Amino acid sequence: MPEFFINGKAVQAEDNQTVMQAATAHGHYIPYFCWHPELSVPGNCRICMVEVAAEGQAEGEGWLDIACNMPVTKGLRVYTDSAKVRARRKETLQFVTLNHPVDCGICDKAGECKLQDYHYAYNGSPSNSIDAKVHATKHHDLSSRVVLDNERCILCTRCVRFTSEVSKSHALGVQDRGDHSLIRAVGDGAFESDAYSDNVIDLCPVGALLSKATLHQTRVWYLKPTPSVCPGCERGCSIYIWHRKSEWRLQALDARRNARIDRVTPLENPAVNGPWICNKGRDLAQIFERARAAQAMLKGRPVDLQQAIAAAQALIAMARRPVTLVSSWASNEELAAFAQALGPRMRCFVKPDCQAAPGEVLQDGLLIRPDKNPNTTGARAHFDALPQDPRSAFAADTDLVLVWGEGYSFAQLPPQARIVVLNSYLQPENGHADVFLPISVQTERSGHYTNFQGVSSAFSACFPKPPGVADAQGLFEALGAMTLKVLA
Amino acid sequence: MKHLVPEFDSMRRRYPAEATSSLVLPCLRRIQEDRGYVADEDIAELTAYLGVPRIQIEEVLAHYTQFRRKPIGLWHLQACRNLSCSMRGAERVIDHLCHKLGVQPGQTTADGRYTLSTVECLGSCGTAPVVMLNDAYLENMDATKLDALIAGLPT
Amino acid sequence: MTGRKVIMNFPVTATSHSLADYRARGGYQTLAKVLREMRPEQVTKEVVASGILGHGGAAFPAGRKWGVIKLNDEQPHYLCANADEGEPGTFKDRWILENAPHLLLESMLISAYALQVHHAFVYIRGEFDLPYRRLAAAVEEAYDGGYFGKALVGSDFACDIVIYRGAGSYVCGEASALITSIEGKKGYPRNRPPRLTVRGLYQRPTVINNVETLANVTAIVAQGGQAFRQIGTAKSPGTQLVSISGHVQRPGVYELEYGTPLAAFIEEDCGGVLGGGQLKCIVPGGISTKVLTAAEITTVTYDHASLTAAGSGVGSGGMVVIAEGTCMVRLLQILLRFYHHESCGQCTPCREGMGWMHRIIDRIVAGQGRPEDIEQLARISRANDGTTICGMGDAAGYATLGILAKYRDEFEYFIQHRRSKFDGRLEVEGPEAAHA
Repeated sequence: MPEFFINGKAVQAEDNQTVMQAATAHGHYIPYFCWHPELSVPGNCRICMVEVAAEGQAEGEGWLDIACNMPVTKGLRVYTDSAKVRARRKETLQFVTLNHPVDCGICDKAGECKLQDYHYAYNGSPSNSIDAKVHATKHHDLSSRVVLDNERCILCTRCVRFTSEVSKSHALGVQDRGDHSLIRAVGDGAFESDAYSDNVIDLCPVGALLSKATLHQTRVWYLKPTPSVCPGCERGCSIYIWHRKSEWRLQALDARRNARIDRVTPLENPAVNGPWICNKGRDLAQIFERARAAQAMLKGRPVDLQQAIAAAQALIAMARRPVTLVSSWASNEELAAFAQALGPRMRCFVKPDCQAAPGEVLQDGLLIRPDKNPNTTGARAHFDALPQDPRSAFAADTDLVLVWGEGYSFAQLPPQARIVVLNSYLQPENGHADVFLPISVQTERSGHYTNFQGVSSAFSACFPKPPGVADAQGLFEALGAMTLKVLA
Repeated sequence: MKHLVPEFDSMRRRYPAEATSSLVLPCLRRIQEDRGYVADEDIAELTAYLGVPRIQIEEVLAHYTQFRRKPIGLWHLQACRNLSCSMRGAERVIDHLCHKLGVQPGQTTADGRYTLSTVECLGSCGTAPVVMLNDAYLENMDATKLDALIAGLPT
Repeated sequence: MTGRKVIMNFPVTATSHSLADYRARGGYQTLAKVLREMRPEQVTKEVVASGILGHGGAAFPAGRKWGVIKLNDEQPHYLCANADEGEPGTFKDRWILENAPHLLLESMLISAYALQVHHAFVYIRGEFDLPYRRLAAAVEEAYDGGYFGKALVGSDFACDIVIYRGAGSYVCGEASALITSIEGKKGYPRNRPPRLTVRGLYQRPTVINNVETLANVTAIVAQGGQAFRQIGTAKSPGTQLVSISGHVQRPGVYELEYGTPLAAFIEEDCGGVLGGGQLKCIVPGGISTKVLTAAEITTVTYDHASLTAAGSGVGSGGMVVIAEGTCMVRLLQILLRFYHHESCGQCTPCREGMGWMHRIIDRIVAGQGRPEDIEQLARISRANDGTTICGMGDAAGYATLGILAKYRDEFEYFIQHRRSKFDGRLEVEGPEAAHA
C-alpha cells in the first residue's frame, strides 16, 4: 500500500496500481483518451502525461511521462497540473486535432466528446498547421449497427481492445500504419455477430464510432438519462434510457417524439454488468415501442376502463378454481400487490413472457443469460414456475384464467374457463378475452427487478402512461376488493 | 495452402511450444512465395491452421510492406529512394525506370511483366544505387546496367 | 590506420563464411571452453567486465542488460539478435551475417548459455537475401555439427535457434517492436515498464542485442573482459563496424578501434570525398544522429564520448558523407519522407508529427514554404522528444533539429527564393567509387 504524492497531497495507493488508477480512485483528475479502467493499457494517446519530480527536484524541474503506465512507488511525487504538464497537454492536443475534422456542428458526439472537453480545458488554440488535413473514409460501416468516421478517429484503440479483451470477438483491428492507419473490422463478419459491438460507441472518446440507428437524430443536450433496468434477460443490466427533456419537448411535431426511447446506454454497475450491455439492450425501443393496447375490451367490444374493471372483479369473485399466469416482467412492487390482493385466491404460475428469438444468443460468458425475462426471480419468490407443459397448469375444473403479460396463446388455455387478460401490446388475441385490460410498461412506472443472482435493481419512469391504460399494481387492489367483499 | 501444411508442421517444431502465434509471418511469406500473393482463402485457412485471431493476420498483411494481397508483375523492381542511394543517383535511376517501363511507382506494366516500386533503405548503402529484382539485390546500378539486365530477362 | 580488429580479422574468401573455415580459424573453441569450464554467471561477468556498449544505436552496456536476467527462475528466457538493420546508412551487421555468420552463432550460443536461453532468435529484415541465405546455411551447418539442438557438443546444455524474417518495417528494429513481430503481430513498440529483460517475448525475460554486440561475445569470453577493455578507449571499449557511404570515394564496411581520429579515417582509409570534392558534413551514425560539419569533426575521435561531446553520437555506425554542394533541404526531405513512411502510428506525437513535418518540407521544396515553417519543424521535433512510446519520434526530431541548427540559412533561402541554394542537388560530380 505505497503512499505517494499528487500535487503535494498524500495518496494511499493499492499495491500494483498505476498513478492513473490511484489518482482516479482518489478524485484527482488526469485526462485520458486511450486509458480505460476495464481495458489493457496501450499508452498511445499521451494526453495523460504528468510531471514526476525526483529526489531534490521541485515542481517544474521534473520529467514527464504517461500516468497510465507508471507504477506507483513509495514517495513518488507527481504533478498533474504544473506549467510543464499544461504545456505538454497543449502540444499533445495540437497533434490530436491536427487531422481531426472540425465536424462538431454535424457530429453526434458533440456535447459528450472528450476531445471537445479537453480542447476547451487544455488547449483552446487553433491549429498551428497551414497544411491540408489528411483525409480518410467518412462513413464506413463496420457493421449494420456501427458506423466509423476515420477522419475523426484518434486511434486510441479502445474499440480494438474491447473486441479482443471483453467481447473476445477479435473483430476489430488497425489496418496499415502511420497516419494512414484505419480501424477496420475483420473480413469474416465477426463484428456483425458480436453481441456487444455497440459498446465501442460508448467507449469511443470522439465521434468516430456512432450508432447507425440513432445517427443524426438528436442532440445529446436535448435528452435526459433515466436510470433503468434492461428487461432483455435475467441479468438485468443497469442502463440509462435517454429521452427528450421536458423543457426541450417538441411542440410542432409528432407528440410521440417526446415520449420515445432515443437511445440506451449502460449504467455502470459493478455488481451486475460493469460498464457494458449487450446489443439487445440498445434495441429496447423495439420492445417498448410496439403497438400498444390502449383500449379496454369485453370480448373485443371496446368499453371504458371502469366498466372492464368491474367486469373482471365480478369474474374473479365468482371463480372457484382461478389460475393466474404471472408475468415474469412484473416488478417486485406489482408482484407484492398481486400476492396480497389476489394471491391467496389463485393458483399461480410464473410464465416466461419472452423466449429467445431465432438466432439470438442464448448464453455466453459475459452478460447474456438464457432466461429472456427480467424478473423471473422476483416472481418465483412468490410463486411456482409454469410446468414444462403449460397445459398441466390447468385442471378440468379451472374456471378462470388471469393472464398477466405476454407469452401465452389462447390455444393453451382451458376452453371452459373465463379469461381475463392484462397486457400492454396490441395483439389480435386480446379481443378473445372475456375481459381485456391494457396495462403500463416498465418505462411508464418505477419499480425493482431481481436478477438471477438475487441482486435487485431499480428502474424509474421515463414517460407518462397513455390515457386509458392502467398500472397493474393499482388494478390488483381493485380486482381483489370485490372478492373480499363477497367473502365477507 | 493445404500442400504447404507439412512444411508448416515441420517449421512449427523449431519454435518454442508457446510460440504458435509466431508462425504468422513465416507462413504468410511461404504462401506468398508459392502463390505470388496472399489470397482471401489463404487468410481463412491460415487462421484455422494456427488458431490465431483472423484480425491478427489481416493486420500483419496491412502493416508490413513486403506482403501483397494482389498479384504483381513477373519481375518486381524495387528501387531504394533513401539517403545514400539518392546521393548516388537513385532519383535518376527511378526516373529512368518510370520512363522505360511506362509506369509510375506502385504500378505494373500492361503486359504484366514488370512492377515498379520505390522502397526505403535496403541496407546496401555502400553499393548505391540499389534496386531489388524480386529477391536479389542489384547493386551499383545505373540506367545502362538496368537496361542490360532487363533486356536479359527471360521472356 | 583503423586500429585493432576483433571481428574483421580474417581475409574474406569464397569459403571463409563456411563452418570448416571458421573452425580452422579456431571457431567454436571458445564455446567448448565455456561449456566445459564456466558457469553462466561467469560468462556474464566477463561481458560486464568488458564494458561493451550496445551497437544497435542506444549504446546501453550489454553486461548490465544481461545482469537483469534472473537465473534459475523456472521460466523460459529468450535471446534475440537484432539483424533488422533498417537505419538508413547502416549496412555493417550485414557484413557479419554474410561473412562471419558462425561468429554470430558461436557468440549467441555462449550468450544463450550465460542467460539460460534454450531458444534463440535472429530477427533479420525481410529484404536481406544473401545475408539470410548465408546465415541459414550456417545454421544448418551448425545443427549438423552438433552445436545447436539437444546436448550441445557433449554438454547437457540445449539450445535451438530460429531465423525470423521480417517483412518490411523499419520500426521492427526497435527492440520491443522486434519481439512483437516475432510474436507474429504487426511491429508495434511497447511502453516500458515492464523492461523486456523482465517481460519480453511471450512475456518472458528476453535479451535483445544487436548482431555486432553479440558477435563480440566470443572474443570477450576467449580473451577475458579485462583484455577486451584494452582495446578502444576507457569509455568505449572495443571496436565499431562502421558502414560508410554517400559522397565518399571508397564506401564500405570498416572496423574502427574506438578512439580512431575521424577526419583522418574518412580522408585516408575511405579515400575522402567522392571525386576529390570538399566535405560539407557527415551523418555519423545513421540518419537519426545529428549532422556534424566538416569543421566540427576535425578534432573528433570515433568513440561515444567524443561524438557525444561534439553534439552527435555513434548511433548505429552508419556514416554518410555529404559533399559541399548538396542541398540540405532536399536531404531533410528524404529523411522526413522516410520517418513518415515508417511510423507505426500508435502514438499521437509521432503518428501526426511525422506526417506534418513531411508535408511542411514537401511544401518548402515545392516552393511554397513560409518563414514560420522552420520554427514549426523545430517545434514538432521538440514535441517528439521524450514523449513517444519508442525512440523513433525522438530520432526524427534529432535529425531535423541537427540539420536546422547547422543549415538554417539554406531553409531560409529556399523559403525566400522558392528554390534551393544548390539547385536541389543530392548528387555531386565524381568518378565511380571503388569499394573497400
